[in-house]
Amino acid sequence: MFHRFDLFVLMALALALSGCTGNDWRTTDVSDVMPPLNFKLTDEHGETVTEKDYPGKATLLFFGYTHCPDVCPTTLARLTSIINQLDQNLRDDIQILFVSVDPARDTPEILASYTNAFGSEVIGLTGDQAQLEDITNRFRITYSYGEPDKNGNYTVTHSGAVLAFDTLGKPAFMVIQSDPDSDVKADIKHLIKAGMDQS
Amino acid sequence: MRRFLASVTVGALALGLLSGLAHADSAVTVSDARLRLMPGDLPGAGYLRIHNGRDTTITLVAAHCKAYSKVTMHKSVTKNGMANMEAIQSIAIGPGQDFEFAPGGYHLMLMQRSAPLKVGDTVTIILELAGGDSEPVVFNVVSPAAM
Repeated sequence: MFHRFDLFVLMALALALSGCTGNDWRTTDVSDVMPPLNFKLTDEHGETVTEKDYPGKATLLFFGYTHCPDVCPTTLARLTSIINQLDQNLRDDIQILFVSVDPARDTPEILASYTNAFGSEVIGLTGDQAQLEDITNRFRITYSYGEPDKNGNYTVTHSGAVLAFDTLGKPAFMVIQSDPDSDVKADIKHLIKAGMDQS
Repeated sequence: MRRFLASVTVGALALGLLSGLAHADSAVTVSDARLRLMPGDLPGAGYLRIHNGRDTTITLVAAHCKAYSKVTMHKSVTKNGMANMEAIQSIAIGPGQDFEFAPGGYHLMLMQRSAPLKVGDTVTIILELAGGDSEPVVFNVVSPAAM
């Protein structure tokens, strides 16, 4: 029986391989185990978009849902706070793509008001189940829906990791909740600066 | 000078009374109580630090407020890289102990907002303790981007 590698297994693999590459990320290096950024999804205006619509910036990719009261806003608050500590010229060269895996509730309008609450660098995306399966399979992200309560509310279990890509969409590192802010900040800074050198 | 000292003492007493500190038998104190407000009807989260100054264990069993019709205690857990939430029925805090509801861990999940709120407002949430006691706590309404 085929078992799909999930992020947890990949992380162990990435740690094992991390000695083999030239990169020196403080968080987990995933440059050898993740494919480049590639997707077809729906944006906050209801338009179909691909990674080519978000060129020239380093990207932090995070999967979640807007009805998530704690982990998702905490992750976005943490990332935007770290980005806001960077110099202005660096801040303009990074974006956070928040992919909702809950398209039944996360309409483009809800996604827009949600991401606006965090800052202009946060961009909300979602898609139909086939599109979401494509991107989550690609990046070994798993998610599942809980049983709805009597009011129809349900929770979504989802990978909590943030994947980072350089300005060309090449995979770089992965951030998990336990990574210290100082490490995340150093890696984001390094990622943006490396992109500036390439352009 | 003496008059100044006297007024300071009265002021401190008044403050103590207001925050419940003057009651030796109910010396449960809280700090950093904040409510992360989300746009629209999205659920918010409440965070705070609780200090149990009593000489007995207190057990937090529920919370409620007027601003949200449904308040539940939750804990975010990450297992094998997967983030999920668990409902928490009760939280025991021993004598002299602190307990923290903090982003990425324990939180009050606030659903079905019944009144408009904005950043800078305050919301009183009643913490219910086993045995029938309750502690009203004033939460500051903060932005989604606040930790």
